[in-house]
Amino acid sequence: MRENGRHARGSESSHHPGDSYYNIPPIKRPHWTWEIFVYFWVGGIGAGAHAVTTIARLLGHGDAALLRAGRYITLGSMVLSPLLLISDLGRPERFYNMLRILKLRSPMSLGSWSLFLFGSLSGLIATAQAAQDGLLGGGNPAARLARAVPAQILSALAMPFALFVGSYGGILLAATAVPMWARNALLMGPTFLASSFSTGLSALSLALKLGRWGEKGTHAALRRAERLALVAELGLMAASLAKMGKYGKPLYGKPLAPLFFGGTVLGGILAPLALLSGRESRPRGILASVLVLLGGLAFRYVMVEGGKRSADDPQATFSHTRKEG
Amino acid sequence: MAKTGFLTDTTVCIGCKACEVACKQWNQLPADGYEMTGDSYDNTQTLSGSTWRHVAFIEKSGRKRLTGDVDLVALAEGVREELPEGAEIDGLGRWTFMSDVCKHCARAPCQQACPTGAIIRNEFDNVYIQPDVCNGCGYCVPACPYGVITSVPEDGRAFKCTLCYDRQKDGLEPACAKACPTDSIVFGEVEELERRAEERVRELHERGYTEAYVYGTEEVGGTGGIGGNHSKFILMDRPETYNLPAAPELPQEKVGPAVAASAVAAAVLSAAVALAFRR
Ligand code: SF4
Repeated sequence: MRENGRHARGSESSHHPGDSYYNIPPIKRPHWTWEIFVYFWVGGIGAGAHAVTTIARLLGHGDAALLRAGRYITLGSMVLSPLLLISDLGRPERFYNMLRILKLRSPMSLGSWSLFLFGSLSGLIATAQAAQDGLLGGGNPAARLARAVPAQILSALAMPFALFVGSYGGILLAATAVPMWARNALLMGPTFLASSFSTGLSALSLALKLGRWGEKGTHAALRRAERLALVAELGLMAASLAKMGKYGKPLYGKPLAPLFFGGTVLGGILAPLALLSGRESRPRGILASVLVLLGGLAFRYVMVEGGKRSADDPQATFSHTRKEG
Repeated sequence: MAKTGFLTDTTVCIGCKACEVACKQWNQLPADGYEMTGDSYDNTQTLSGSTWRHVAFIEKSGRKRLTGDVDLVALAEGVREELPEGAEIDGLGRWTFMSDVCKHCARAPCQQACPTGAIIRNEFDNVYIQPDVCNGCGYCVPACPYGVITSVPEDGRAFKCTLCYDRQKDGLEPACAKACPTDSIVFGEVEELERRAEERVRELHERGYTEAYVYGTEEVGGTGGIGGNHSKFILMDRPETYNLPAAPELPQEKVGPAVAASAVAAAVLSAAVALAFRR
C-alpha cells in the first residue's frame, strides 16, 4: 500500500502560506484507467445506434439494412461495455455487487442497472435479428424461439435505458467534488448524450457505407441527422466551456488542449460538419464518420483526464468550494 | 444508539503523531514508506487508504520580529497583554498541528455515491465501508469533498477511518483518542462534543483568541447539504490552511437536476433524429 496516499503535487506551483497545505491536493482523483473513457465511448456508440434505429423504425422507416446494422452495433457495444467496466474494478470478481442494491442518488448505481437492462434487451433483440438473418440455422427450436422475440417492442422498452447509458457518464462525473466536472453539472449529461448520438450515427453510416448496404434515403437521413447531432454537440461544448470558466483550465492547458481543440472540436465536429455539408460522396461520408468517432473518443479522454488534473489543483478546489468565479 | 464522533482541538495538539501511530497499529495498516517531503517535519502529507489519521504540521512565519527581552513564558501561555518592544503574540510565528481524519459526514457523499451499498451508516451513525462488499469501483473517491477516502491499488478496494467500529462495539474509545496525550482528540457522543466545542471556543475567545472556531458544522465545513460532520475540529485559521474546503457541497444534490437536463437533451436529440428521418 504505497502509491495510494502519495499525490502528484498541484499544478499551481506558487505556494502562498495559508492558502493551501504545501500544495497537496485537498481532494483525491479517481483511479480510473483507460477502460473508463473507452467505455464511455463504446457505450455511447451503442446507446446512440439503438436510439437512432428505434426512432427510425417507429417512424415507419423500413430499411432492413439500417435495422440490422443498428442491432449488431448495439450488441457489440453492449458486450464490450461490461467487460471494460469490470476490468477497471479493483475487485473484478465482485462485479455482481453492482446489482446488489438500487440507489437513486448514485449515478453509478443507476448506470449499472441501465447498462444491465439495456445490455440484456439488446442481446435479445440481436438474437431475434440473427435468427431472422438465418445465422442460427433454420428449423431448430432455438432459432424458432429467437424469431418469436418481439424485437420491436423490446427496442422501444430499451429506449429510456439506452438514453441513460448515453448520458450518465456525464452525470456521474458531475456528481463529484471535482471542480471541472461539478461546475458544469447540468451540461455534462447532455453533452455526453449529444456525443453519443453523433458517434452512434457515425457508426451506423460507416457500417452501411463500408458494406455498401442500405437504401439511398437511409444514407441521406443519416447524413442529415449527423449534421444536426454535431451542431447540438458543438453548441453544448461551447456552453460547457463557458460554464466551466476558469475551472476548465485543464482543457486549455498544455497536454490536453491540442487533443481537445484539435481532436474533438476541429477534427471531431467542425471538419465532419464541413464534409457532411458539402457535396455528397462515399469517401467523404466515410471520412466524416471516422473523424466523428475518433473525436468522440478524444472527448471522453479529455473529460476524464481533465477532471483528474482539476482534482490535483488545490486552488481550483478551494475557490470552487468558496463559490468563487 | 447514540451518534458518536470526534472532536479534534488543534489548539492543544503538540504534533506527536501518537494518533497516527496508534491508528496504524490498531488497524494493522502498512507503512507508507520513508519519503522525506522537504516541506516540513510532516512526511505523511495526507490521509490515504493506509493512513486514517494524519497530523499536518502548519508552519506560519511571524509577521513581526521579536526584539529585546521578551517573556517567552508569557508568550507560550498566551498572555495577550502589551509585550515589551511592541512585539506581537504572533511574532514568533505559529507552528500549528492538526490531526485530520474522516469527517463522518451526517449525509455522507461517499456513502451516497457507493453503488454496491458497501458504505453504510453503522449503529453509531458512523460512515463505515464493509470490506467484504466493496468491489473497488472507486467512485467514492472523487465524491468525498475532503479527500479522505482513497483507493488502495494493491488491494483494489477503498479504505478510510472506521472510527474504530470494532473497539466501539466493545465499549472502547477509538485508538487515536485513547493515545492522544493532550486530549486534542476527544471521542464521544456528537451532541456532547458539540457542547464541548462551543465551550472551548468561547473560552478561547475570552482569552483573546478570537480567531478560534468550530469546523464541521452546517455553517462551516459541513455545508451544502452535508448536514454537518460527526468529526469536528477547532481551528485557528482559514480552513484552507489545514487543507480543508471552507464550504463543500453534497455532490449528489446535483443528480436530480442533471438527470432532468439530460432527459430534456434526450427529447431534443431524438426529435432531431426524427426530423432527419421524416423528410
Ligand atoms: S469525509 Fe469523506 S470519507 Fe468521510 S464520511 Fe465524509 S465523504 Fe465519506
